[in-house]
Amino acid sequence: MEDAEFDDILDDWFIESLKTYKDLHVYQLEHPTQVLEWTSGKTVCVAGYSQSKNEILELRLPLKLLADENKSLCAERDFKVSHGGFTDGPVRCLIHIPGTRCAVTNDGLSSDLQVWDLGGEESDVIRRTGSIKGKKSAPERGSRIAARPSSAPQVLHGAQISDVQLTELASGESLYKLETDSADPLSSLQFVSDTVFLAGCCNGSVYVADTRTSAPPQLSHSPSSDKSVIWWTDGAARPHPSSCRVIRVSSSGQVVISDLRNLGGVGCQAQLDVQTPGRCSQVDVKVSWAPTLDDCVSVSGFSGVVQIYNTRLWGAEPQEARPLFEHRGHAVSSQQTDDSVPTFVTSHIWHPERPRTLLSAASDGSVHVWDWVDPDRQGGSPTP
Amino acid sequence: MTCIKRLFSKGPRSKVAWLIGEALTSCRCFHAELVRSLSDDLNKVKYFFSLERRSGCIIKLTFFISQVRHESSALPVVHHSKYVCDLAPNHRFPMGKFPRVLQCLLRDQVITEKQVWVPEIASKDLLSCVHTEDYLDNFINGKISEQEQRRTGFPWSEGIVRRCRYETGGTVLAAEVALQRGLACSTAGGTHHAFPSYGSGFCLLNDLAVAAKYMMDNSPTKRKVLIVDLDVHQGDGTAFIFKEEPSVFTFSVHCGKNFPLRKQQSDLDISVEDGLEDKDYLSTVEAHLPWLLETFCPDLVLYDAGVDPHWEDELGRLRLTDQGLYQRDLFVLKTVVKRGVPIAAVIGGGYSRDIDRLALRHSIVHRAATQVWRECGM
Repeated sequence: MEDAEFDDILDDWFIESLKTYKDLHVYQLEHPTQVLEWTSGKTVCVAGYSQSKNEILELRLPLKLLADENKSLCAERDFKVSHGGFTDGPVRCLIHIPGTRCAVTNDGLSSDLQVWDLGGEESDVIRRTGSIKGKKSAPERGSRIAARPSSAPQVLHGAQISDVQLTELASGESLYKLETDSADPLSSLQFVSDTVFLAGCCNGSVYVADTRTSAPPQLSHSPSSDKSVIWWTDGAARPHPSSCRVIRVSSSGQVVISDLRNLGGVGCQAQLDVQTPGRCSQVDVKVSWAPTLDDCVSVSGFSGVVQIYNTRLWGAEPQEARPLFEHRGHAVSSQQTDDSVPTFVTSHIWHPERPRTLLSAASDGSVHVWDWVDPDRQGGSPTP
Repeated sequence: MTCIKRLFSKGPRSKVAWLIGEALTSCRCFHAELVRSLSDDLNKVKYFFSLERRSGCIIKLTFFISQVRHESSALPVVHHSKYVCDLAPNHRFPMGKFPRVLQCLLRDQVITEKQVWVPEIASKDLLSCVHTEDYLDNFINGKISEQEQRRTGFPWSEGIVRRCRYETGGTVLAAEVALQRGLACSTAGGTHHAFPSYGSGFCLLNDLAVAAKYMMDNSPTKRKVLIVDLDVHQGDGTAFIFKEEPSVFTFSVHCGKNFPLRKQQSDLDISVEDGLEDKDYLSTVEAHLPWLLETFCPDLVLYDAGVDPHWEDELGRLRLTDQGLYQRDLFVLKTVVKRGVPIAAVIGGGYSRDIDRLALRHSIVHRAATQVWRECGM
């Protein structure tokens, strides 16, 4: 594509974005990241995933973005690197331990974890402080990690469902092990309360367990028997704390929502329009419930677009789902030549409090912070 | 035909004396220069009229008036209440700024109502000196395609058509009044992303281009017009329109990474880096404007005093302060006026969701102009 044509497309999108976003900030990292993890309401961690040495950075969001009133009074609109360090290998998973300045990473190559001190006021260096051994599996694969929401720093981790364990950071002691024989590799691991966690397997089955008991976990079987398909999962205790919904997305675009209280049943389903040639195998699909918007989920990893869906519109029968909103920024702004690899969104996260603010990162090193306008409310029409 | 301004008398001491030659009926146009007398009686004003016949002969007429003029002899400010139209409540374009600019100037007693000049709506004829017939037809009659509307950032409405035409009329009037008085400002204007056959980036008609073309052509010898565009976005529409026109010089200082990414070629483009602050920005303007005036020798300057280089601007990427904008405007206006070249200023672009702050920022150019008016004894 001619440079001028390409600029034109970007210009068109810029004008369009004035209407579709309340805020949009576009940044460029030197190296792309596959991880985005909040370390506070204003800071986020990113890290490179090249084969050898990589940077791990803690970035401070521009004040201008976060101010609600007096937005115009904040001069700073740049992402500032507040802390940084180096890793020896790629970073495929990064979790912040709440209430601490500690983070835990995994390189996607083995099940071992690296422990980091993110630095404080007196130092801007992110240092490696230790490691946690994971159970070896054959073949070797990377671990998923989850941090216990409260209490003393503990991480849940494992590369496959039978290897999931809870480790205390300070002592390295293993406090809990998931009792199951299955060797299904994991695609997600997360706590839905202080002791209850979900382990989502690549084959689509989801296990629910409680770290307080050694009783076997509950199992929700995979929605599909197709072995070629990979699944990703996210759970959220929404809209009510007592209920927990689990969403599963497959690499073929099938989506299933179930209620944790009724794991055998299917709440609702949908089919996402997943374009061929389809997703890049290097890039994980990320699916995430919105922290404050009921029934909203976001999906990325199939292309250079982040899609937001209103699941309230979905029914028991799978129908093609139309996104409520699409963030096309990464796709539009990446320059493509014929032989280049298309840009993929590598990760995205919702802001924990601001209802419509998200961060997204792509394979070209871009990081966007955006606050989208709900198109249903744009013209002042009543919310569904 | 000619329009000779009627001068009304005010007060008991008034007496008007006219001296008009027979050549009146055949003149194409005239311009009046107001020269304030330095005599004790500040009400005594000397006028020079030059009437130009088709043959090019110039007849100078002089007459005296011994009363206060109806129109204020202070800085002319061009404004129309129809500079605004209704937009959807959360639309990003800060439509509300136009009346607020005037309001804050009046409230702060920078100007009085008497200084306000009210433009006429720009006729299709006037607009066609820059825009294509097809575009004007579609634009005025609501036949702009969805896609074209998207690029402009505005959904089509009769209101938006009307307000753009008044805005353009305002810029043209400001240019005309500047020729008469030396300096004039509009409370709108600067829609420099409009091209002859399409709109873009919140611009539907190119007011600066229409004003420049009109002023250039409506004079016995082509007037030379310098367009100084200090809006943070390149004046791409204007650059394109006058690319091949030697009598109009387009000068744009803009941030390279801002919209439009697809740049046109002005006669002089200065593309600056993100984050530029007051001092360096001012140096940049100071480095170019004086020699431009020296070498191009314009008969008229049109000045786009966009405030989007300000650090608070939501779409600009520079870091000027209020003081920086003021110094900039003061420099531009003073430099041009001191050379005896008429200058008309428009407010240009500015994007902020705090409309009152934004309007105050836009009023900086009018304050600077008031200062220049005073200093230069206009």
